[in-house]
Amino acid sequence: MSDNTIQQAKASSRILPGQERYVAPAGKVELQDVDSVDESMPATNMWADAWRTLRRNPLFIVSAILIVCIIFVALFPGVFTHRDPNFCQLDHSLEKSSPGHPFGYDTQGCDVFTRTVYGTRTSLSVGILTAILVVIFGSVIGALGGFFGGWVDALLSRFTDIFMAIPMLLGAIVVLQMFRTSGSIWKIVLVLTLFGWTQTSRIARSAVMETKNLEFNTAATALGSTPGRNLLRHIMPNSFASIIVIGTTSLGSYIVSEATLSFLGIGLPTTTVSWGGDISNAQTILRTDPSVLFYPSAALAITVLAFIMMGDAVKDALDPKSRTA
Amino acid sequence: MSEMNSNNEKSDKLFEMQREQGPILEVKDLKVDFTTGNNHAVHAVRDASFNVYPGQWVAIVGESGSGKSTSAMAVLGLLPGTGHVVGGSIKLEGEEISHYTRKQYEQILGDKMGLVPQDPMSNLNPVWRIGTQVEEALKANHMDISHEKRSKLAQALAGGGVAVKSEDDETFIGSKELPELLKAAQAALNEAGVTGDGAKNKMDYFTKEWVPGSETRWRVADDLIKAGVSDDKAWQIAKQYVTGSTMTDRIAGLLEEAGLPDAATRARQYPHEFSGGMLQRALIAIGLACRPDLLIADEPTSALDVTVQKKILDHLHTLTDELGTAVLFITHDLGLAAERAQHIVVMYKGQVVESGPSLDVLQHPQHPYTKRLVAAAPSLASQRIISAKEHGENADALMEHHAKGEETLEKSEHIITVSHLTKEFKLPRKKEMFKAVDDVSFSVKRGTTLAIVGESGSGKSTVANMVLKLLKPTSGTVTYEGKDISEFEGKSLLDFRRHVQPVFQNPYGSLDPMYSIYRSIEEPLRIHKIGDKKSREQRVRELLDLVKMPQSVMQRYPNELSGGQRQRIAVARAMALNPDVIVCDEAVSALDVLVQDQVLQLLNDLQAERGLSYLFITHDLAVVRQIADEVVVMQKGKLVEHATTDEVFEHPQKQYTKDLLDAIPGGHLQLGLD
Repeated sequence: MSDNTIQQAKASSRILPGQERYVAPAGKVELQDVDSVDESMPATNMWADAWRTLRRNPLFIVSAILIVCIIFVALFPGVFTHRDPNFCQLDHSLEKSSPGHPFGYDTQGCDVFTRTVYGTRTSLSVGILTAILVVIFGSVIGALGGFFGGWVDALLSRFTDIFMAIPMLLGAIVVLQMFRTSGSIWKIVLVLTLFGWTQTSRIARSAVMETKNLEFNTAATALGSTPGRNLLRHIMPNSFASIIVIGTTSLGSYIVSEATLSFLGIGLPTTTVSWGGDISNAQTILRTDPSVLFYPSAALAITVLAFIMMGDAVKDALDPKSRTA
Repeated sequence: MSEMNSNNEKSDKLFEMQREQGPILEVKDLKVDFTTGNNHAVHAVRDASFNVYPGQWVAIVGESGSGKSTSAMAVLGLLPGTGHVVGGSIKLEGEEISHYTRKQYEQILGDKMGLVPQDPMSNLNPVWRIGTQVEEALKANHMDISHEKRSKLAQALAGGGVAVKSEDDETFIGSKELPELLKAAQAALNEAGVTGDGAKNKMDYFTKEWVPGSETRWRVADDLIKAGVSDDKAWQIAKQYVTGSTMTDRIAGLLEEAGLPDAATRARQYPHEFSGGMLQRALIAIGLACRPDLLIADEPTSALDVTVQKKILDHLHTLTDELGTAVLFITHDLGLAAERAQHIVVMYKGQVVESGPSLDVLQHPQHPYTKRLVAAAPSLASQRIISAKEHGENADALMEHHAKGEETLEKSEHIITVSHLTKEFKLPRKKEMFKAVDDVSFSVKRGTTLAIVGESGSGKSTVANMVLKLLKPTSGTVTYEGKDISEFEGKSLLDFRRHVQPVFQNPYGSLDPMYSIYRSIEEPLRIHKIGDKKSREQRVRELLDLVKMPQSVMQRYPNELSGGQRQRIAVARAMALNPDVIVCDEAVSALDVLVQDQVLQLLNDLQAERGLSYLFITHDLAVVRQIADEVVVMQKGKLVEHATTDEVFEHPQKQYTKDLLDAIPGGHLQLGLD
């Protein structure tokens, strides 16, 4: 004990200037309960957070307004025009715009404005239906492969590779040749899904593989949960963000693909109004009457841009890296 | 005795020097703000003041979010993101640096201030060799690689041995000349009449000490003179054969100094070939490569095992003493701070709440926060926590309870018995199997806590996973209530899961981020189909009360809670099914001391109330003493020692256990005397 006192006495005489004992005055720092919950904070979760981020993003606001308008046009084309898109009079062929016909007429004497308005429904349905099917099909295959691993994964991955190896357009041309006369948009949707699900499947697979190794799955197993339940209740919901992002972003590209196929003449027949078909028809008179080509192309570009912008905004909001831990 | 005197003399001299030179780092009323998205300023550091003198170790202690790292980063000019100094002054060697530009900082970083960062895994570039990364530090500061640079302080302190050393005396040994140097030394020894065993010992000493790129000419001469070679001859040899090192030598020398064995080979390896401790050593070598006067170490050893931590800090201590480097180190560990630093600064909520000589502060804490910290610090002095509930009862009842407890302890059956448990893993690219757990047997008595202690790689978590039936043992059995758990499946497995519950290490990973707290706690009830919606909600409310969380957190998500709060939710979830056994796998390791203490108290209360049995996996022996009745020490998959907690702490039988106990930072210090 005496040793200790000596040492302390010595130590106290040995304090360097500026290193004297300092105790903050009482009341300067308020002492809080250990690890108390801040109940004043608003409750949040990933989706609420994402929504808050989205709401502030001008990219999202612009694209959302555009998409709402586009969907409205697609649902109620009759509000904008009273004419039938297939009602064409050759005597109006290539007439310039006039009151009631703001975009003028094409070679066949059809009203370009009416055809552009009615074309929206085709393009949008193809895009949305394909995106939904791709997300369902792709994520099921990807999730199964990623979750079970081993030979299941090997088999499904090779299956995916086969479809990935076929260029979408080439495959679509081959398949669509068989259903040339059908005017249903479903043939396009199915063909695009058939050759488009691979990317989603890959992303779903890696998302599932990443989530699978997180500790909450082990925790759930130890609570008595089964692997299947883990996949449905824990892994899929946690992987969903990346799948949503890829779904929204590729929606635009499906619309483009439909237009491309219709342009090539193997998509929808001329009896079905679509922007791709109209662009194809207008191509021959591009030099003399560019306006006929301009309107369906512009509509296509705006729609695709709106969806791609939306995809970007959603990606920013849901990106796992920017999420607060 | 004479050595002690000379030590005292040396420290007196050091003290005088320090007072004369003044502080190397002077931080006064430092204010640091972070700006958030909508121009809202978060005050990370408020009016912090502290000094660091040359050759001194100063510790900043505080919990996460206290502003300790932010203060250090402000000194280094490396504030992340939107952080910036908004007031106060930072003086390095008397010069104000807080307004420095990035370019000006580059001038002083490395050369005057060095950094040893917190996480060794992410602070080295994985595609560069270790040596290249050391070389980068040397080249960026245009270091002379053939001569040692000594701080003013070191020069002044070393003055006793050799008079004044000229520039050339600090020339390093080169690896090319080393064999010839050793040959010449051998010849000189013979000439001086030193032969036989004596000469052999001396030569062994030379071979060990004369590291190319690290040992200097005057030291070689000094060693030779001490070995009996005449002054003239010694200096002649030193001048002839010690002619400076190459870059490769210097890199190896630096790594060797930081305590990496076989440094020349190691320098050619990549970070992934190193263990955590080795990476930290490499970072220390980089931090000290340019001989800074001030080394800032941000939790340099927090990610490492205690025995490795002790080795590295011991080494850093000798190294900085020799070089005269001042060290400002950031830690959350009070014991560590008290053991290593002369001066200690306690921070809380961005402010300095107490500072002073470290022993004084820790033994006589005055600020309520420091008192709280000291009270919660798990050191060797602490005893097993006595439940608060028991505290409340009067002394007689307490005695009775204890007596009863001891009685049941003797009589009760073992709720979990592990016998000859072995687990082998197949290693990639290797033929033989790796034995993660090798013939381990122990049993957990009902209503008590058995702790498994070991360092990383000891197989303790593997044991936990086998007990939880999450892993299949290669051989051996685990029995629960006398039944072999490997036979459980379907309904009986569900029943087993109901009675044996885990709490995992990572509070950030063990709760599903998509689940609200309510859903997380309710999940086990759903899985086991217990009750209806209403009764489940009632149960969740009870459980939240049990872990002392407000019921309002039910609708929140894990990302809104702190690590300790999440861990309490995890405990609530584990308690939902009224289990008999809880397996805690490093359940408190990731938490701050105060929060850790709180969770341990909670676990202990639950045990006292409900007679739970715990299997407690941890690397932290200090925590063991607070919670465990029996201890199993594991090393490399094998059971090393198994005894009651008091037995292990007071009479450890095996060397490994002794080493572990010895490595507990501040273990021999008595904290909080009043």
